Amino acid sequence: MPPAIETVDLVKEYGELRALQELSLTVEEGEFFGLLGPNGAGKTTFINTLVGLVRKTGGEARVFGYDVEDDYRRARDAIGLAPQEFNVDRFFTIREVLKHKAGYHGVPEDEAADRADEVLKRVGIYDKRDERFDWLSGGMKRRLLLARALVTEPDLLILDEPTAGVDVQLRHDLWELVRELNEEGTTILLTTHYIEEAERLCDRVAIMNEGRKVTVATPDELKQRGTDTIAVRLESAPSVEPELGPYAHETTVSGDRLEVRVDDGGSTAPQLLNDLEAMGHEIADLEITRTSLEEIFVDLTRSEDRTVTRSSADGADEEPPVSREQEREREQEGVA
Amino acid sequence: MLSVGFRALFRREILRFVRRPKNTFMPPAITNVLYFAVFGVILGNRIDQIAGYDYILFIVPGLIVLGAISNAFENASFSIFHGRWNEYIHETLTSPLSYVEMVVAYVGASAVRGLVVGLIIAAVGRVFVPIGIKHGLYLVATMVVITSLFAGFGIIGGLIARDFDDLTVMNQFILRPLVFFGAVFYSLETFEQAWQVNLSLLNPMVYMVDSVRYGLLGYSDLIGVGILPAPYTEFAPLVSLGVLTTGTVLVLAIDVYLFEIGYGLTD
Repeated sequence: MPPAIETVDLVKEYGELRALQELSLTVEEGEFFGLLGPNGAGKTTFINTLVGLVRKTGGEARVFGYDVEDDYRRARDAIGLAPQEFNVDRFFTIREVLKHKAGYHGVPEDEAADRADEVLKRVGIYDKRDERFDWLSGGMKRRLLLARALVTEPDLLILDEPTAGVDVQLRHDLWELVRELNEEGTTILLTTHYIEEAERLCDRVAIMNEGRKVTVATPDELKQRGTDTIAVRLESAPSVEPELGPYAHETTVSGDRLEVRVDDGGSTAPQLLNDLEAMGHEIADLEITRTSLEEIFVDLTRSEDRTVTRSSADGADEEPPVSREQEREREQEGVA
Repeated sequence: MLSVGFRALFRREILRFVRRPKNTFMPPAITNVLYFAVFGVILGNRIDQIAGYDYILFIVPGLIVLGAISNAFENASFSIFHGRWNEYIHETLTSPLSYVEMVVAYVGASAVRGLVVGLIIAAVGRVFVPIGIKHGLYLVATMVVITSLFAGFGIIGGLIARDFDDLTVMNQFILRPLVFFGAVFYSLETFEQAWQVNLSLLNPMVYMVDSVRYGLLGYSDLIGVGILPAPYTEFAPLVSLGVLTTGTVLVLAIDVYLFEIGYGLTD
């Protein structure tokens, strides 16, 4: 079977601005794949390229082997998209909206009605079926977007910030639901700002920044790339900073408290304790703190070169726009 | 062409205007009652017959065209633009419908609205004056073609509009003047100067109004002013319909092309 998503050197330019820069990414069938990145990283542009709302400038993009432009009908038929924006038909009740969407995907009218009811029950807003979208609460609107993505029974479900601005209960409900869907065989592409969400749900995550792929790994692999901190409280404050082996990347002393940054806290702690005792220190307490995925994420995205993106150019981003000078610098670096 | 997806979109488009008669069918009905009452009855009694027809009967075809094409245009342009404005047109764009299916569904439904409005105006006119149909098949073909043509223009309007004011500008400042100078309320034979006739013949509305008038009354200005040389003079309505049909196909092809390149629809 071809991958659920496969892009090769995917490029999207808006004039001189490059929203996607030679992005190559593969999501296997059945995977729960996360796309992480700060605002303006190109996550939504990437998704919209797959569903036809953005036309690529260069490169290749396929969904289950179908080119998203040459074979757009089959590619789009495979995808269910729950976008960030509330782009729902306001003229009809939500049940009718779902029936229409299923109809566009070739589901006959009777079956479309059954499916609409089924997904409304599944996301828990069946009793609102005869309401229009505008009358729903924020959380219900979010649920409806998911229902609309599910009504076509997609092989690939794309969730663009599905839990942005929703309460904790709904977030957990949505997590449970998408996990079930994934277990039933649906491939899931999730973009999120919430690192915890990716950590809980995703088999693999790609970190994007400024339209480029920074890395792809499992959440565990990513966490292993970070350093741990072993905090030791000594019975008495050391007069000088202890000289430790090469396993200690950084050592700081504050009174009777010693903090040592190491690659793997669990395996390094016994050696650290031995070394300290050998130096005559008495250990009162010890604590190991693992680097959070969030810290690694911040670290990975902060160190990247900045490149202007459409959202930042539009002023829709928190990040300041890039000056001409910075752009020239990037061009010289061969980035832009 | 008649795939399940196409039917679903076509149905959605039809339901959108059918469920809002106060916005879609009532205004043309009321406006045309006023037209017939004022121009037909009050003023018409003081105007001589035109081309052998009572004035009120003479203006019926033009009013039908005015209502039908305005509504076809308005429906398509509004549906596309409103969908773009609120982004729910993404529901269609992210579906596996072909671009041809999308365009034909939008155009077809808008043409239906134009045809229904045309029928409403004819029914209103019937209250004031008996109306017969001289060339039924020709009339139906003409109405289908011109409502489709303006629905096709409506798609383009809906795609290029940047706000709702643009739609109003298109309808009020382009469409309406062309229709009013399209021999709705007068005959080309009224003109005494040749240049006046020639200038009018540059207005595409003249051909539409004339075609519908020919279908309903059996009278054609284009035959009257001899737009085609003898012995082909009598073929003017058929040529006119042929040209309008060709124009419609061209406009629909442009619509499909715009959908293909995602003009106004995609980033």
